[in-house]
Amino acid sequence: MKLTRIAIATVAIATTLSLTACGSDNNSGSSAAPTGAGASGSLKASGSSAQKNAMADWINSFQTANPGATIDYQANGSGAGVQDFNNSQTDFAGSDSPLKPEEATAAATRCSGNNAIDIPMVGGAIALAYNIDGVDSLVLDPKTAAAIFTGAITKWNDPAIAALNSGVTLPNATIATFHRSDSSGTTDNFTKWLIATTPSTYTLAGGKDWVAPGGQGAKGSDGVASSIATTKNSIGYVELSFVQTQKLKAAKIDNGGGAVEATSDAAAKTIAAATVSGTGNDLSLTIDRTVKDGASYPIVLVTYEITCEKGLAAAQSALVKSFLTFTASDEAQSALSSAGYVPITGDLLTKVRAAVAAIS
Amino acid sequence: MSTQLRGSILPKWFAAALAMLSIGAALLIENTTNVSGIGGTTALAVVLYLVLQTAWSFTVEGRRHAVDRLFATLIYSSFVAAALPLATLIWQVVHKGIAQFNANFLSHSMRSVSPSKPGGGIYHALLGTLEQVGIATLIAVPIGILTAIYLVEYSRGGRLGKWISFFVDVMTGVPSIVAGLFIYTAFILTFGMERSGFAASLSLTILMMPVIVRATEEMLKIVPADLREASLALGIPQWKTILRIVLPTAIGGIITGVMLSVARVAGETAPLLLTTFLSQSINSNPFAGPQAAIPTFIWDQISSATPASLDRAWAGALTLILLIMIFYGTAKLIARYYAPKA
Repeated sequence: MKLTRIAIATVAIATTLSLTACGSDNNSGSSAAPTGAGASGSLKASGSSAQKNAMADWINSFQTANPGATIDYQANGSGAGVQDFNNSQTDFAGSDSPLKPEEATAAATRCSGNNAIDIPMVGGAIALAYNIDGVDSLVLDPKTAAAIFTGAITKWNDPAIAALNSGVTLPNATIATFHRSDSSGTTDNFTKWLIATTPSTYTLAGGKDWVAPGGQGAKGSDGVASSIATTKNSIGYVELSFVQTQKLKAAKIDNGGGAVEATSDAAAKTIAAATVSGTGNDLSLTIDRTVKDGASYPIVLVTYEITCEKGLAAAQSALVKSFLTFTASDEAQSALSSAGYVPITGDLLTKVRAAVAAIS
Repeated sequence: MSTQLRGSILPKWFAAALAMLSIGAALLIENTTNVSGIGGTTALAVVLYLVLQTAWSFTVEGRRHAVDRLFATLIYSSFVAAALPLATLIWQVVHKGIAQFNANFLSHSMRSVSPSKPGGGIYHALLGTLEQVGIATLIAVPIGILTAIYLVEYSRGGRLGKWISFFVDVMTGVPSIVAGLFIYTAFILTFGMERSGFAASLSLTILMMPVIVRATEEMLKIVPADLREASLALGIPQWKTILRIVLPTAIGGIITGVMLSVARVAGETAPLLLTTFLSQSINSNPFAGPQAAIPTFIWDQISSATPASLDRAWAGALTLILLIMIFYGTAKLIARYYAPKA
């Protein structure tokens, strides 16, 4: 009896120990560590789910180049990310919007009295994805978009839409609109565009929650995209990457200077032209959503990395700097386009690099 | 009237014929009207079957047989309705999870695996779940069993015992997210503790304890009082009676209760989202640094929403179900092994 028990316990312990030993972190298939591996240590970050997949790919590249470093990014939402950072749970936060004044005060305490800075790192484009049989090209302007999403226009062959699309046969069908049912930065940025460009048509409040009457809600970008894909004569606003993965068609947007296709390059132009409203190395942006040059795609969003300019523990600070230097590099930024994100370019990228260089 | 004692009985083939007739009629109705979907058609077929059978049986066999058949059919269809969701769920998880479920998946972490590419594995989360649940068990089992012993052997309906019983009941109903919030505010925000596997263990402990207390209490209650009295009559002190007579008699049921509580908390997601920090790499130290767990692994893969990560989420769900089945199986084996020999 006693012997059996001891035997069982031994087997149990041995199993646990062998289990601990057999796992592997190596997913690259090669065992040789790259030479000249520099950075090491571990970082924690959390926040915006909009930049989750971009961050995952960057972390993978960074960890592959620096096998001694481990970075974990938890996509628990912008608000939770900022809170985690201010509670010293993480080393940097990802956020859809720059720090609000009261958050900045809390962040200054966390950074031992120094300022926390907003660094724009990942851009995105919001496409108006539609599903109409036989219509491969559709142009919308802010007024018609606002009228469609508030229910003022209900048919695809409405004269206002037809006027923008001469030569296109639009069906006499009721428009099904889809919006986000959950609180999201996508809704926030889409309504910001409507409010900036056509305040007389879109008279409702902006913000992260959709308030316009009518239409159907769907949860998450994937929910909206798959709803559009399966519903004939529908339209909805969704990040460009989901348009690509679900093979949807996106409307061209005419802000007044000609129709612009929803592409990563066209959106990058709008982001590059944004003015910095932060002071010093704080690069919170003001985006001109009324841009009319006929080449910039106006419905964009920018997500920031938020960290201490000074005041992090030395080891953490060095690793944050090293990682953000990598994410601001040409290599990392150009990898964004293929994942459906929008890179930071031009003067703004230079400012981003200067801000990262100032972290100490 | 005939002189036979038995009334007329429907032939044996009637059930099959009637079932086919009902399904056929339901399909016809589905095609000709706008009733659609497999659920609606099934419900329609069952209702048709019930009505037709009762009517037929009533005219041929009489009222008593008709009522008997009606209730027999209702009971069988309730059983099928109850088992169907479970069967569908298991089929879905196995069907969708099996593609990614292999030795590589079990032995590798997600470190440096792109969300959009296949590969990687669940090892880091499996290790995390085993450690977190293991620590939670180590804390909850002694407290839970000792509380139950107090309630049954010492308090015997006293005022303190009643209060403890009441609060254990309240704790049983605490939603898991509240347990997570408690640890998050009390330990992480107030004391600045790092989010870790250990913080997760603490929140799981809160969920396990009442289950263990209740299960142990029930098992101790059914130990015959004669055994205790016989032991005490021989001059054996109470603590020794409990340790050598009461506990060994009830041990099978207690172990089952403990294993069931382990299985219950192993799949908890809500408290882990607040108390652990999700990692893609292996971390065998539950006391420091980010550590993954299977439920948070599944959550993370779903939120990436790429085809490859959804495959991983299904394989993760399959792993979790298998793990919990192993817990249940072990519980049954141990309970049988320790059951008092009659």
